[in-house]
Amino acid sequence: MSLVYPNGVRALDGVTLEIEKGSFVFLIGSSGMGKSSLLRLLYREKVPTQGEVYVDGTRVDAMRRSKVPYLRRNVGVVFQDYKLLANKTVWENVAFALQVTGARTHDVMRQVPRCLDLVGLAHKSRMFPSELSGGEQQRCAIARALVNNPKILLCDEPTGNLDPSTTSEIMELLLRINLKGTTIVVATHNQAVVDRMRRRVVRLENGRIVSDEERGYYFLGLGQSSVLSG
Amino acid sequence: MDWGKVRFFLGEVFANFARNKGMQLTAIATVAVTIVMLGSFLYARETLGKLSAGLLSRIEISVFLSDRLGDREARALVQKIAADPRVAGLTYVPKSEGLRALRERLKGQIDTSLLTTNPLPNAVHVRVKNPDEVHAVARTIEKISGVATVEYAQDAVTKVLRLTDTVAKIGLAMILVLVLATAVIISNTIRLTVFARRREIAIMQLVGATNGYIRGPFLAEGLVAGAAGAILALAILAIARAELLPKMIATLSFIPFEIARVDESHLILELLAAGAAVGFVGAWFSVSRHLRT
Repeated sequence: MSLVYPNGVRALDGVTLEIEKGSFVFLIGSSGMGKSSLLRLLYREKVPTQGEVYVDGTRVDAMRRSKVPYLRRNVGVVFQDYKLLANKTVWENVAFALQVTGARTHDVMRQVPRCLDLVGLAHKSRMFPSELSGGEQQRCAIARALVNNPKILLCDEPTGNLDPSTTSEIMELLLRINLKGTTIVVATHNQAVVDRMRRRVVRLENGRIVSDEERGYYFLGLGQSSVLSG
Repeated sequence: MDWGKVRFFLGEVFANFARNKGMQLTAIATVAVTIVMLGSFLYARETLGKLSAGLLSRIEISVFLSDRLGDREARALVQKIAADPRVAGLTYVPKSEGLRALRERLKGQIDTSLLTTNPLPNAVHVRVKNPDEVHAVARTIEKISGVATVEYAQDAVTKVLRLTDTVAKIGLAMILVLVLATAVIISNTIRLTVFARRREIAIMQLVGATNGYIRGPFLAEGLVAGAAGAILALAILAIARAELLPKMIATLSFIPFEIARVDESHLILELLAAGAAVGFVGAWFSVSRHLRT
C-alpha cells in the first residue's frame, strides 16, 4: 500500500507487510522514513491513498467512519510523549479509556487494577502524571492502552524520551504483554533495544521496506553476518 | 442504573463548565436577553390577540328589516339568521319595543309624545362566534330578502385584524434573528470548551469512544447553559410583569384587559424549551464540526 500526504510527501510507497498474530515486530528506520505513517494506517488515523489494510481479518481502510471506534478498542496505541491527561490521576487516566467506551462501572473497577498491576503502578494510582518519572508515565500510558484488552499494541517510539535502564524495563514489560498473547508492533530507532531483543525487524527507508528479517539487528550488516554465522 | 457511569458523565459536564466560566456566563446572559425578548413578544402577541378577539366578539351586526315585512314574516327571517352555524346568538327588537326603548332613553330631553308614528324598523342584533367571520356573516345576511340594511363596525374589525397580523410578523422576524444570534454565541462558547478539551477528545477518539459518546457532555453543557439563561429570563419577566402590568392596566383603563388573560404556565414551558433547544443546537454544531475534521 501507499500513502501520500496532501502536501505531496510520499510517506509510504508500495509497502506490503504481514504481521502474524501474537508476534513481536520492530519497525526501524530514521525519522521521517514512514514508521509512524505505517502505524497510523493500522489504527486508521490515516487511510492509504492506494492499497488495502487488514487488521484482525477486517478491512480497515474501507471501514465506515462510525465503525472506527470499535477498531480502536482492539488496537492499543502508545506514544513517545505518553499523551496522558495532566488533570487526572493515574487511576483516572486508565479508567478514562474504559469509561468513554461506555463500560460498566463493575468492569472498570475490575480492569483498571488489573492493568495497573501488570505495569507495576498499582501503588501510585492516586498520583498525577506530573508526579511520575518518564518511565512511570509510559507505564501508565501502556496500562491505558491495554485496559480495553486489545489484540494489538502499537508503540510509536515508546522509549524515545527514556534513559537506557528505564528503556529496558519498558521493553521487558512489552515482552511480558506479548507473552500473554498480544501482538506488538514497536516503531523505534533505538539500536540497543533492537539488538538486545532479537526479534523480527522491518526496516523502512523513504517509505519502502528495504529489509525484513527474523531475529534481526538494527544495522543490516550485523543482521546478515548473524545469518551467515548461524 | 449504573451510578458510576452517571457520576462520570456529570463529572465531564462539570469539567466543561469549569473550563471557561466567563464565556459560559456570557452565553447564559445572551440566552437570557433573547428569551426576555421572546417572552415579552409572545406575551404581547397573546394579549393583543385575545384583546382583539374579545373586542371583535363584542361587535354586533345590526340588521334592519324592511317595513314591508309583517311581524310573522320578520320572525321567520330571524329564525333563518339564527340557523346560520356561524351565529352565536341574536336578539330581535320589534319596532314597537325599539320605540319604547328610544322613548325611555330620551325621557325628559325631548317631548316624545310628538312622535305619532313609529319611524323605527324592526331590528335584529346578531353576535358571531368567530370574530374573523363578522364580515362574511354580514354579507350573507345582507342578501336575505326582507333585509333593508346591515351595519357593523367594519373599519374597526379590519383595522384590528390587520394590526395584530403586522405586529406578529415583525415580531417574529426580529425574534428569529435574535435566536439565530444566540445559537451562534452558544456555539462559539462550546467551541472554546471543545478547544480547551481537544487533548481529551483526541484521547477519547484514540481509545475508541464513539462520536455520540464524545458529544454527550458538550450537548449537556449547551442544554444546561440554554436552560439557565431561560430561567434567568423568566425571573426578569416575572419581575417586569409584577411591576409593569398593574401600571399599564391603570393607565390604559379604556382597554378591557380582563378579557386578555394569558396562559402563563404554557408560556413558561415554551420559553424554557426554547432556551434549552438553542443551547443544544449550538453545541451540536460546534462539536460536530470539531469531530468531522
